[in-house]
Amino acid sequence: MPLATLDITDRVATLTLRREEMRNALSIDLLRDLHAGLDQAAAAPGITVLVLAGAGKAFCAGMDLKAVLDDPAAPGILLHSLADLTLKIRALPCVTLARVQGAAIGGGCGLACVCDIAITHADSKMGYPEVDLGVCPAVVAPWLVRKIGAGRARRVLLSGGLMSGQAAFDIGMVDHVVPTAAELDAAAAEIAKRLATGGPHALRATKELLNQLDGSDDSSLVKRGADLSARIVGMEETRTMLRAKLGK
Amino acid sequence: MRWFIGTASTANGILLFFRMIQSEPRGSVAILRFDRADKRNALTPKMLGSLASHIDTAGSAHAIVLSGVGEAFCAGFDLSLCRDDPGVLGQLLAGLSRVVRLLRQSPAPVVISAHGAAIAGGCALLGGGDIVVTTDGAKIGYPVVRLGISPAVSAPTLRCAVGDGHARARMLDSGLIDGRRALAIGLAHECVATAAACEARAIAIAEELAAKPRHALAYTKRWLNEIDGTGRDDAYGAALEVSQSLVGGQEERERLEQLWMNQAR
Repeated sequence: MPLATLDITDRVATLTLRREEMRNALSIDLLRDLHAGLDQAAAAPGITVLVLAGAGKAFCAGMDLKAVLDDPAAPGILLHSLADLTLKIRALPCVTLARVQGAAIGGGCGLACVCDIAITHADSKMGYPEVDLGVCPAVVAPWLVRKIGAGRARRVLLSGGLMSGQAAFDIGMVDHVVPTAAELDAAAAEIAKRLATGGPHALRATKELLNQLDGSDDSSLVKRGADLSARIVGMEETRTMLRAKLGK
Repeated sequence: MRWFIGTASTANGILLFFRMIQSEPRGSVAILRFDRADKRNALTPKMLGSLASHIDTAGSAHAIVLSGVGEAFCAGFDLSLCRDDPGVLGQLLAGLSRVVRLLRQSPAPVVISAHGAAIAGGCALLGGGDIVVTTDGAKIGYPVVRLGISPAVSAPTLRCAVGDGHARARMLDSGLIDGRRALAIGLAHECVATAAACEARAIAIAEELAAKPRHALAYTKRWLNEIDGTGRDDAYGAALEVSQSLVGGQEERERLEQLWMNQAR
C-alpha cells in the first residue's frame, strides 16, 4: 500500500497522504510516494486542479524527525526530498488547493503554504514550532514569506508555537476558513469545482507569471534552505534537544 | 535632558543612562529605551551613535526590546539641530541607517514597543524590528517628503514589512496612519490600548522568545534576512545614498527654513 495515492475525477486530481497512524508525518518513504503521485499528476492530461489532502484526523503533523536522528545522512535526504517536493508542487501547471483538517505543522504547514490556495477549519492547529525544538524552518520559510509577506513571516517563524485555523486565515496563511471540520470537505469540493472551470492555458500562464514575480521559479533558495536545515538537525546540540523533546 | 552618563538602581538591576539611551538588562532580555521624553524622543546623531553601541552589546542577550520613555516611542529626527549645520541631517540619516541595519542583523530577535508615535525616523526604526507592538491611537508614518526629505533610507526594510504596494503609499504620502491601520497592513504585529501596556506586551513577547533555543532563533533570523535581502549591507547603502543625495539641496533648505519660521511664530 503506497503512503500517498492519486485519484482523478474529471479535471480534479486529489493527492492524499496516507500515513494515518502517524498523523501523516513526513518520512522519507511518504515523501517518495508523494513525488510519484505528483509526477503522475503532472503527466496526466486535462487536469486543472490538484487537491492536496491528508487521510484521517490530521492533514500532516510535520517532519518525522524522530526517524532520522540516528543516521547522519538521513536528515539531508529527508529535507532535500521535502524541498524538491515543494518545488514540484509549485511548478505544476494546474492550480493547487490544500485541504487542511486537524493539523498542519512544520513541514506539513509548508505543504499547505506552497499550494496556491489553502482551506482549513477554525479550530485546526497550524504553524511552525521548529524553533521550539531547536531546529530551523529553512525549507518552508521562502514559501511562507511568499504567502504572507516577509514581515508577518518573521513574526510567525521566530515565535514558534501553533495558531488556530482562524488565526491562520486572519494573517493570510490560508485563504478560506469554515467553522468546523465537518464542513471542510464539502467547502473544499465546491472551491475545487469552481477552480476547475478555469481555462488550463490561462491558469498555466498566470501561474508561470506569478512564480516568476515572487521568485518561486528559482529553486536555489529552497535547496539552500534544505542544506541549512539539515546542518542544524545534524548538530550535536540539536540532536540532544530533539531526543529530549521528542522522547527518544 | 540627560546628557550625562550615570546609573540608577531598579528592582531588577542597574539602569544605565548614556546619551539619552537607557539600557536595562532584565533576565536574558536587554531593554533599550530612548530617554528624551520632553522632546518626544526626537533623535540626535549622538543618540543614534549611542543606540548603535548598545545594540552591539545587547546582541549577547537572548532578545532585545526597543522602547521609548514617555507617551511617544519616537517622533523622528530633531530637525532643530540642522538649523545651523546642514550636515547634521546627513549624520542623522547615516546613523539611522546603521541602527536599522544593526537591529536587523543582531543575532537576538528585536521586539519594538512603538507606542504613541513612530514618525519619520521613528517609523523607519520599526523596519529593523522582528516584532512590533503599537497602540490604537499611535501616529505612524513619514511626513517628510513635504520637507524635501526622502524616506528612501527605510525602503529596504519597509517593503519587507508591508509589501511593495503599502510601502509605496506610506513613503510617498506624508499622511499618518494609526496603530490599527499599521496592524492591518502588517507594519505592526499587535496593537494595544495604552503606552504602558505596549511596552509591557513587548517585554512579555521578548521573554517568550528568550526562553527558546537561542541558536535556532539566530539561524532562523539570519535565514529570513537572507530571503528578504535585509541581511545584505549593500541594500542599506543604496537606499541611504538616495536620501543623502537631497541633503543640503535648495528644496530641502527652503522647506526646512519655512518649518523653523512657522515654529518660531
